[in-house]
Amino acid sequence: MNAIASPLADTESVCPACLRTLPARRVLEGDDVYLVKRCPEHGAFKTIVWRGFESYQRWGARGSRAATPPVTETPIKRGCPHDCGICPDHRQHSCCVLLEVTQRCNLNCPVCFASAGREGDDPSLAEIDGWIDRLRAHGSPVNIQLSGGEPTVRDDLPEIVRRIRARSFDFVQVNTNGLRLAKEGGYAQSLADAGLDCVFLQFDGVSDAIYRHIRGANLLTLKKTAILRCADAGLGVVLVPTLVPSVNVGEIGAIINFAVARAPVIRAVHFQPVSYFGRYPAAPADRDRITLPEVMRELEVQSDGMIRATDFAPGSAENAYCSFSGKFFVSGDGCLSAAATESAGGCCSASSGCGCGLPASGDDAPRARRVVAGQWAAEAKPANVPDIPGIKIDSFDAFLAARRHNFSISGMAFQDAWNLDLERLRECFIHVVSPGRRVIPFCAYNLTSMTGESLYRMTNDECAVA
Amino acid sequence: MSERPSTPAPPELTCDRCQLPLVLGKVKASYLGNSFEVELSCCPGCGFIYVPEELALGKMAQVEQALEDK
Repeated sequence: MNAIASPLADTESVCPACLRTLPARRVLEGDDVYLVKRCPEHGAFKTIVWRGFESYQRWGARGSRAATPPVTETPIKRGCPHDCGICPDHRQHSCCVLLEVTQRCNLNCPVCFASAGREGDDPSLAEIDGWIDRLRAHGSPVNIQLSGGEPTVRDDLPEIVRRIRARSFDFVQVNTNGLRLAKEGGYAQSLADAGLDCVFLQFDGVSDAIYRHIRGANLLTLKKTAILRCADAGLGVVLVPTLVPSVNVGEIGAIINFAVARAPVIRAVHFQPVSYFGRYPAAPADRDRITLPEVMRELEVQSDGMIRATDFAPGSAENAYCSFSGKFFVSGDGCLSAAATESAGGCCSASSGCGCGLPASGDDAPRARRVVAGQWAAEAKPANVPDIPGIKIDSFDAFLAARRHNFSISGMAFQDAWNLDLERLRECFIHVVSPGRRVIPFCAYNLTSMTGESLYRMTNDECAVA
Repeated sequence: MSERPSTPAPPELTCDRCQLPLVLGKVKASYLGNSFEVELSCCPGCGFIYVPEELALGKMAQVEQALEDK
């Protein structure tokens, strides 16, 4: 018997076939939340978005952290998501901005949000200078992720890192499969010397069978070598598993164990449930999706309760339903314990200090940038604060020392043409600089229709703007 | 909050109101539900606690920011 659907809220989405904007509704069926919509031309669509109503309500209770971006550059013409650049309808600042420095890759994965290939022209250093100058003109420095394609196929990647650092960006990470880091001695050090903070390492499991399935090659040994190279170079490493149902969801606990055993070199695990844009084998069914609460439950089950689903909370600045995160301490015997969960979420931040009990909404993205940079970069060395004679502050020292040994587990659910909720998209704080120097929310940039049509990625219009 | 002042602090610090030399005393510093017991210079008369500027802008600020950052 089918469960009765109860409407939860109205929103907007797009048609997976033609990408036109459609009214959409979030509905509850049994214990699960779906997004439903109907295109007058292509019919009705219904997609799972959250399995577990209790956590859905808790995440929703965080409320919106919407804030107006300091700079908008594209006018509202056709409405979200067709005016990205960013338009005045957007509702969050940039936290992390991706620079796609190449469309080339040295793998050929069956699943790839960027549809990367082996050939193609890379943007010049002058073009990249233009991107980062434009970003810098937007105000306070965002975190930068070098992405692609596979960024390390560019021999001048260290020079790109240097140029970003020279413009006073505080945190630079590279999103990589790790092949070059593993194969080329000294390469990790050259990136570290240029100012790289963090390696955002694709890491889908702890067995080669997983890599053969998702990436088309045996990669585990190379991943391990890449991590060792990063350790030697003083680079922080974040493991980034793409979770695919029936492929590697059963590896979640093993991935955590692998990471904790290599802390503090590995600073975090950041799970990304598979999303269906770019290149993927077939149109997805609901059984092809794992939602964020399921990831949290698997973390609890597969860690035998060492990690609890209740250790996690929504992110601080993006739409609550886009992510979860939890902070943990690593004990000497490799166990995780949750850090205190009371946070600034209910109190004024030091900078706003208005006494209202909540940080000013515009503070959230800067704080999120600072938290990510602090957690994902290599373990911080003690700050150079001189001792003060005549007082005893051992408890402050102990607290700060313990904080340096923390570990984070997080997850982010990207949206595709099936499950896109424009309310979430408007609050997106992960952005991509397009070749035309427009700043575009990640899920809009990568959005593709079921026939592969893209709104923004490398279209002729976009190139004309460039 | 200060408790049981004990060891004398550096002699140059004096409470302006009580004209008593400050002494080292246990202080519970609380922020966002977390408490830290430290020893700072206190007035044995009125309980005034002296927080050196380098502490307020240094490690105390680092602890505050760490707690705010969850």
